[in-house]
Amino acid sequence: MLKKFLIAVVVIAIIFLYYMASRPTTLTVGIFAGNNWDVPQGETYAIIDEVIENFEAENPGVKVKYVSGIKKEDYSEWLAEQFISGSEPDIFFVLADDFNLYASIGALMNLEDFIAGDKNFSVDVYYPAAFKFGQYENISYALPCESTLTFMFVNKTLLAKEGVAIPKNDWTWEDFLKICRKVTRDIDGDGVPDQFGCYDYSWQQAAISNGVKFFRDDGKTSYFADSRMEEAVKFIMELRGLNGGFEVSPKDFDVGRVAFRPFTFAEYRTYKPYPWRIKKYSSFEWDCIKMPAGSSGGNISVMETLLVGMSSRTHNKNLAWALLKKFCYDEKTQQLILKKSQALPVRRDVIISAEAQEIFSWETRDTAAITPADISVAMDEAIMPFKFKNYNAAMLYADTELTKIIAGIVPFNNALNKLQKEINALLQY
Amino acid sequence: MQKFLTVTGMHRLLYVYNGFAIFIIMAFMCLTQERINHSMTARAFLEQAGAVPQSSSIIFLETTLAFFTLVLIGRFYIKSKSRSAKYFLFAAEVIVCMFLMCVLNLSYDGVILLVAADLMYKHEGHRQEYTLLIAMICLYFIANYNMAILQTKIISFEAYASYYNADAKSVILALRNTFYSVNIVFFVFYLVLLVKNKHEEKERIRLLNERLEEANQRLRAYAIEVAQMAETRERNRLAREIHDTLGHALTGIAAGLDACIMTLEIAPELTKQQLNKIRDTAKKGITDVRRSVKKLRPDDLERLPFQEALLEMTKDYSASSGMEITFDIFSWSNNLRQDQEDVIYRVLQESITNAKRHGHATKVKITIGGNENYLLIVIADNGRGCEDVKQGFGLKHMRERLELLHGTIHYWSDEGFIVEAMIPLNREVKDDKNFNSR
Repeated sequence: MLKKFLIAVVVIAIIFLYYMASRPTTLTVGIFAGNNWDVPQGETYAIIDEVIENFEAENPGVKVKYVSGIKKEDYSEWLAEQFISGSEPDIFFVLADDFNLYASIGALMNLEDFIAGDKNFSVDVYYPAAFKFGQYENISYALPCESTLTFMFVNKTLLAKEGVAIPKNDWTWEDFLKICRKVTRDIDGDGVPDQFGCYDYSWQQAAISNGVKFFRDDGKTSYFADSRMEEAVKFIMELRGLNGGFEVSPKDFDVGRVAFRPFTFAEYRTYKPYPWRIKKYSSFEWDCIKMPAGSSGGNISVMETLLVGMSSRTHNKNLAWALLKKFCYDEKTQQLILKKSQALPVRRDVIISAEAQEIFSWETRDTAAITPADISVAMDEAIMPFKFKNYNAAMLYADTELTKIIAGIVPFNNALNKLQKEINALLQY
Repeated sequence: MQKFLTVTGMHRLLYVYNGFAIFIIMAFMCLTQERINHSMTARAFLEQAGAVPQSSSIIFLETTLAFFTLVLIGRFYIKSKSRSAKYFLFAAEVIVCMFLMCVLNLSYDGVILLVAADLMYKHEGHRQEYTLLIAMICLYFIANYNMAILQTKIISFEAYASYYNADAKSVILALRNTFYSVNIVFFVFYLVLLVKNKHEEKERIRLLNERLEEANQRLRAYAIEVAQMAETRERNRLAREIHDTLGHALTGIAAGLDACIMTLEIAPELTKQQLNKIRDTAKKGITDVRRSVKKLRPDDLERLPFQEALLEMTKDYSASSGMEITFDIFSWSNNLRQDQEDVIYRVLQESITNAKRHGHATKVKITIGGNENYLLIVIADNGRGCEDVKQGFGLKHMRERLELLHGTIHYWSDEGFIVEAMIPLNREVKDDKNFNSR
C-alpha cells in the first residue's frame, strides 16, 4: 500500500516537473505609456516591442510580456499594487520619485553581484551621473536606460536681428547678461518692453551652473547659505531687473520675442525634427547650446535619468538580468533609443558614434550650434538630481522662500542663512 | 465544561484559541492588502510599511501550513519517548514558531506561549526549565526587536491598522491586545491546572505510600502471629508426641512396674515375664521418641549422608547468595552421633549466613580436621570482619548448642571473620592439653 502510494507521488512529481520544465519561461516588464520627459510621443511601445523581439530571438523558450496602457501618472500606484499583490514584473521602469522607496524597502534587487559577476558588463560605458543615479547608499539597484539634459534654447532669428552672434558652448553668465541686456527693449514703443532676454531661467539652474550642491547626499542637511548660492541669487535678481518688473509669458516665447529659454534635450529632440518642427516655433530659427557657466561653476546642468530595476523576488534572476542588460546595456537598444526616443542613450560610445552624427544633423555641420561631442561632454559634466524622501517638500519650500527673496519681498541680507536653518529643520523629519 | 478543566483539555483549548487568533489576524492582513489595492493607496502603504509585503495568497498558504506543522510537531513532541527525538522536535517547533511569527509580520506572538505550553506539558526535569527559559528569551527577543538580528523586513501591524480611520484603528489595536491578553489568561490558567495536577499526583503517591506502609505493618504483625502460631502448633505437636509416645510408654511402664511390685513376692516368674514386657515397652517408647525427634531434623540430614548433606547445603547457599564456598577436609570421623551432626550442621549454616549478612564476604573457606578425640571446624571469610564482636543471637545459640556437647567456640577478626568450633568426640576434652584453640 505504502509502496503504491510512494510510486504515485514520484510519478506525479515527475509529471509536474516535466510540465514546469516544458512550460515557456515568462518574464514581465513594467512600463508606462509615453515617456518620462513630458513630451508628446507617437508610437509609445515601438522601442520596447523591438527590444522584446530581439530578446526573445536570442533566448528561445522565453516569453516577455508587459501590460500596456498604464499612464505615467498612474504608474507609481500601479507598481505598488503589483508589489502588494505579489505579482510585480520581473524588471520594471523606476520613476525617480519611487527609486529610494523601492531600494530602501528591499523591493529592488541588489545588482552589485550581477555587475561584478558579469564579464560582458562594464560600468565604464555609462556616464557617471546616469549610473550613480541608480544607486542607493552606494549600492546599485537599477541601471540607467535613457537620460535627458537641460540645454539653453537660442532664438537665432532674434539674435541675428539684434546683430549678436550665437554664444559658444563655453559661455558665461556675463555673456548671458550682456546679450539679455542688449535684446531687452521696447519695440512697438508703447512704453513697456516687449522683447526679452530669457524666459523660465530658474534659480536652481543658476545655482547648479555655479557649482552649488543643495543638500548633503543623505538629505539630512542643506547648503543654501553657500557663497555660490548667494552669487546665483544675485545673478537671477540682476537678470530679472532687466525686464523692469515685467513678467515674461510663454506666449512671448512662442511668438519669438524671447532670446533664451532652458530646454530639455527631450524637447529639443521632439520639436526640432519633422513633424513638430512646423507645428511649434516655426516662425523663427532656433538651436540649443549648453547652459551658461556661473563664475564659480561651469556649463553644468542636471541630467535626469530613467532607471530600470529588477524585482528582488523574481524567480528568473539570470534571465531578468539579461533582459535588464538588453534594455540598459545592449548597444543595439541604446542605438534604438538614440534613433526613436526623445531621450539620450546612456552609453558614451553610442552618443559619440557615427549614427549619432547622422541623426543629430538636422542642420548642416557648420551651422549646428551643438555636436554629439558637446552633448557627451555635457553629460559627463552633468550632475544628477537628488532623490531622497523629503527632497520635493524641501525644494518646494526653498522655491517659495527664494521666489520671495528674488522678488524683493524678503530682504536679501541673511535671508539665505535663515532659509538654510529652516530647511535643515524640515529635513530632520 | 468539566472536560476543558483538565490539563489536556486546556492544552487543546490553547491550540484552538491560538489557531483562531492567528486565522483572524491573517485574514485581517490579507483583506487589508486587498482593500489597499482597491482603494489606490498602495504606494502610500508601501511608504509607511517600509517593506514589501507577501501576497495575500502566500500569506494564507504559509500561515496555514506553518500552523498545522506546529500542531503536528506538538503532537509528536508529546508522544515521543526518546530524549534526542524530543530535543529535535522541540527545536523544530521553535523554528516553525519563528517562521509563523515572521509570516504574520510579528503581529501575534501568542504562539510562543503555545510552544511553552507544549514544553511544560511534558516537563520531566532534565534541565528542561533552562531550555524553556532560553527558548522563550530568544523568541521574545526576536519578536520585540523586529528581527533586527536576522535583518528581515517586517511590516508593523500598526501600518496595516493605519489604513483604516482613527476610530477603526483604535478598535483594531484594542482587539489585537485582547487576543494577547486572553491568550495569556488561558496560558496562566493552563499552568495553574498543570501545577494543580502535579500536586494532586504527588498527593496520590503519598497516600499510596502510606497505605503500602500500613499494609506492610499488618503483614509484619501477621508474620509474627503466624510464627507464634507455628510455634504453638509445634509445641502442641511435641506435647502430643510426648503424650502419645513417652506418656503412653511411661504410663504403661509405671502401671507394669506397680503390678510387678505386687507380684514380685508371689510370682517371681510372672514378674520376670512382666518386666520383659515392660522393657519392650520402654524400648518401643525410645524408638518412638527417636522417630519424633527425627521429624524435627533438617531435610538434607534426613535424606543424605552427613558429608553430602553439608556439601549440598553450602552449594545451595553459594548458588543463591553468589558467595564462593570452599571445603578443606583433613580428617573426618565417620561415627558421629546424630546430635553432633545436627550441631555441626547448624554451626556451619549460621557462620556462612553471618559471613554473608554481616561481613559481606565473597569467599568463605571451611576447614574441618581433628583426631579421634575431637573435631575442629574453622570457618574463615574475606568479609570486612568486626572490630568489636557483639555476641548476637546467632553466636549465642551456637555456643549453647556446642556447650551441650561440651564443645567450645572462639571467633575473631583478622583478614575477615574467623569462627573456630571444637567438638569432643568420645570423652571430655575440656582439660585436654593437646588442644589449644588459639
